[in-house]
Amino acid sequence: MRYFLQRFLQLLLVFVLVTFSVLVVMRMGSPDAQTLAIKLAGRPLTPAESQSLIDTYSLDRNFFFQYLNWLKNLVFHFDLGFSPQNGLPVAELLKPRVWTTILLGLYANVFGLLIAIPLAVNQAYRRDRLFDKAGNLATFVAVGIPGIVLGVFLKLIFVVNLEWFPSIGDKIYPWDDLSLHFQNFFLPALTLTIPVAAIYTRLLRADMVMTLQSDFITLASAKGVPPGRVVWKHGLRNSLFSLVTAVGTQLGALIGAAVLVESLFDLDGLGSQLVVSVLSSDLFTVQSFVAIIVLIVVVVNLIVDLSYALIDPRIRQARALG
Amino acid sequence: MSIGSPNNITQAATRDIVGPLLELTDVRTHFRTPRGLVRAVDGVSFTLDRGRSLGIVGESGSGKTILSRSIMGLLPTKGTERSGSIKFAGGEIGDKSRKQMRHVWGKEMAMIFQDPMTSLNPLMKIGNQIAEPLRIHLGMSRGDAMATARRLLQDVRIPEPERRLEQYPHEMSGGMRQRVMIAIAMACGPTALFADEPTTALDVTVQAQILDLLGEQRRDRNMSLVLVTHDLGVVAGHTDEIAVMYGGKLVEKAPTKRLFAAMKMPYTEGLLASIPKLEQPSHSRLNVIPGRPPDLVHPPKGCRFAPRCPYASAKCIEEEPPLTPAADDPSHSFACWYPVGSPEYHEARERIAATAGVN
Amino acid sequence: MTNMTDPTDPMAPTEFTDVVTHEAHAALDDQIDARLKQVRRRRIPKFGVLFGATFLTVLLTLTIFADFLPFIRSADTAVRIDGKLMSNYKLGPGWDAWWGTDGNGFDVFARCIYYARYTLWIGLSSTAIGIFVGGALGMVAGYFRGKTDRVISILVDCLLAIPALVLAIMLVRRLDDIKLDYTWLGWMTRMWQIILTLSILAVAPLARIVRAQTMALREREFVLAARSLGSSNLRILFREILPNLVPTMVTVAATGLGILIAAEGALAFLGLGLETSWGFMINANRTRLEKAWWATVFPCLMLFLTVLSFNLIGDRLARRFDIREAAV
Repeated sequence: MRYFLQRFLQLLLVFVLVTFSVLVVMRMGSPDAQTLAIKLAGRPLTPAESQSLIDTYSLDRNFFFQYLNWLKNLVFHFDLGFSPQNGLPVAELLKPRVWTTILLGLYANVFGLLIAIPLAVNQAYRRDRLFDKAGNLATFVAVGIPGIVLGVFLKLIFVVNLEWFPSIGDKIYPWDDLSLHFQNFFLPALTLTIPVAAIYTRLLRADMVMTLQSDFITLASAKGVPPGRVVWKHGLRNSLFSLVTAVGTQLGALIGAAVLVESLFDLDGLGSQLVVSVLSSDLFTVQSFVAIIVLIVVVVNLIVDLSYALIDPRIRQARALG
Repeated sequence: MSIGSPNNITQAATRDIVGPLLELTDVRTHFRTPRGLVRAVDGVSFTLDRGRSLGIVGESGSGKTILSRSIMGLLPTKGTERSGSIKFAGGEIGDKSRKQMRHVWGKEMAMIFQDPMTSLNPLMKIGNQIAEPLRIHLGMSRGDAMATARRLLQDVRIPEPERRLEQYPHEMSGGMRQRVMIAIAMACGPTALFADEPTTALDVTVQAQILDLLGEQRRDRNMSLVLVTHDLGVVAGHTDEIAVMYGGKLVEKAPTKRLFAAMKMPYTEGLLASIPKLEQPSHSRLNVIPGRPPDLVHPPKGCRFAPRCPYASAKCIEEEPPLTPAADDPSHSFACWYPVGSPEYHEARERIAATAGVN
Repeated sequence: MTNMTDPTDPMAPTEFTDVVTHEAHAALDDQIDARLKQVRRRRIPKFGVLFGATFLTVLLTLTIFADFLPFIRSADTAVRIDGKLMSNYKLGPGWDAWWGTDGNGFDVFARCIYYARYTLWIGLSSTAIGIFVGGALGMVAGYFRGKTDRVISILVDCLLAIPALVLAIMLVRRLDDIKLDYTWLGWMTRMWQIILTLSILAVAPLARIVRAQTMALREREFVLAARSLGSSNLRILFREILPNLVPTMVTVAATGLGILIAAEGALAFLGLGLETSWGFMINANRTRLEKAWWATVFPCLMLFLTVLSFNLIGDRLARRFDIREAAV
């Protein structure tokens, strides 16, 4: 519990520091509150409009105060600010798009793991055989291939040549229409899944190869445990450390890739909206979107941290002792 | 995860065994490497009766571990060449694949490893680790297996077995873990137990307890025990027979008492001399055998120990001595041209003493 | 014995590594040692790294001497054949224009070669800055520990909490505005904005790896010896620790270059990079994938092969120096 609290406070500090820095970066470079108000609005303002903006967001005070104001609005009113360019509260901009990105991230992780675990386990088991070597080569290329390149190639194959999927994506969710959802989300999800699966595979394989050389694996064999059970039951669980860590550390890269993929496949999500907002200097929106993204990253990392203890009783004990 | 149909090998052990439990004839285990063939085990033969115990002694690099693993068939298949015959309970197992041997492992033959700290699965409860072979080989239900596991923990003298079943390895001391390993090995009532340096990683006080426990279990269960160690002192009081290995070969084999009373190989003598003795003042220099174990790719032409043997003569370097029974005791065999006690041996000793005196 | 079990090395000998006990290793130790030495001596450069090095050398040569090479057209004059403008993707890949022409009639091959300049320059300079800053931070944090370490670690955690690409698009765009308000930033072109942004991305991972290595090195005998002889901290950092960090830095730099070049492509693709970039070409032509695949595919291929080449070299270095962090 003490460990959890410590970790929680640490991540809270990271969240506050990052969101504060983002606010400063977003609002710096304006000599006075009026100019800042105009920049935030993204258009000329009447004095009354400008004054109301200044009052609501304390734009005439220093950054520290502005940040507290922003944080207060976020925590107590779940007010993410206003996007003047869209004429909408940022939350309204967020709501219809958030599922696109969450689903993409979820698919990438779920399918990534579904591909990575059997692949890595078999590679480690058949170490240095042809299967392993082919797997190593494939994952090496897949880890390094830039997201846009992979997306374009997949599009070329499946959209242009095979004509299996529509060329412009439409955000249709599974609860609306499952088959249309599949048509629209398959390629973007695949583009995200391939590198994720490759990274997971490489990490798990490396750990697994080490584990399979442990004495307790030999002992398990010497007990007469069938090879399949030795590898899956004794080997896998002892090899999960890097993989679980990667789910947390790769999240940032995954979100970055989602930004690209949503733009490439014209799928309307947080990522593509973020790019639009950045390009049009919609400062409120960008700030709030980044804050949400950082929040997600921080929370996932906290969960990852807790799951170590779930896997390994030794970590559980060490943490219980504080 | 089927239990696997009992085959000839597994049935053999349950019926009354006529003849030795274990019979090795010219067993060889070679590893293919780009540098050449590593002859880790190079022509070993011996027999072991049911309920008896054998100590295999040698330095690291002598091939003793590979030998014990060759018998069990616990070797990687890739790059390994095995030949010779290994008969277990009358049935040939030397040519069996890992897949076929799986039904023998843990059930008929079991192994205890050197390092109890790394040999138990750190993420699995003790109870489940003991129950695993019971469920696989004997098809026990979970409840039965756990009850048996509890009894096994009692047998190996672990206090509060009920509580221990639910513990993880990291919650136990090294000695306790080694007891757990013995319990695991004992679980399905094997007829042969291989213990590979079972006490090397333990405290001296715990070592004796573990060895006593092994001996006791062997007698109670009428098992054969193969105790692999580098320490002649360990096997001295705990095995019926001792086989000394050097460079992948057996160089001397005798009943324990006989070996200590009348050892023939200078190598055995060296091993004995390297045991620290209580009566020696502490900090006195330990005797070590000078030199290194032989290159197993290009072994020496004659006696493999000749390059390090203080009494070696031209014949030792040229011709390899065969393993032959001693004239006065057929149960004692050794491979040496000029064994301890022979005239040539005394001559060489005097020569050495003389040169030492001059210096 | 340890380098035998490197799990990332598919070339590691395995025939008997599965015999894992200490005893078995001891038995075969001599043989393994001898064998490893032999293998190392015998090892020819592997196909991968050879490919990577060749590709990068050719690319670098072509892009540097592009102005003088007769077979490379100008990147900024549209192709005309018999006086007719080859715009609207008129030419496919072929003799007249090797990789075809794009919507405005520019030679795709020439553009791909010329634009490599910007990409490589951005990648190299941002990696250099990243190594300098990240390496310094990591060394200081790992060597002095305590409060310094805590502050730097939190900074690194913060940088890692924002997805790299999100941070990059935000910073590049904001620098557009900010430099208008601060006159002393007037020198900053779009290119420098990108270099600056990308080097910030490189800082955090580098600082993290260097910190871990410095912490390990700090406890090594030669450092302890130097300290007991009264060497100053500065001297120890530069004389004892830095030289030992070089392999790590070089390795991470190679892999990092690949990642930063991909990021540069991504920025340009999103419209936040240079217009003279492969990423921009991909974005500009991707809607015409059906009609003129070449205008999109060739820049993609260039980006892919460049990143792959750096990865291959990085992977090789990681294996050579036995650095696990950079392996993935």
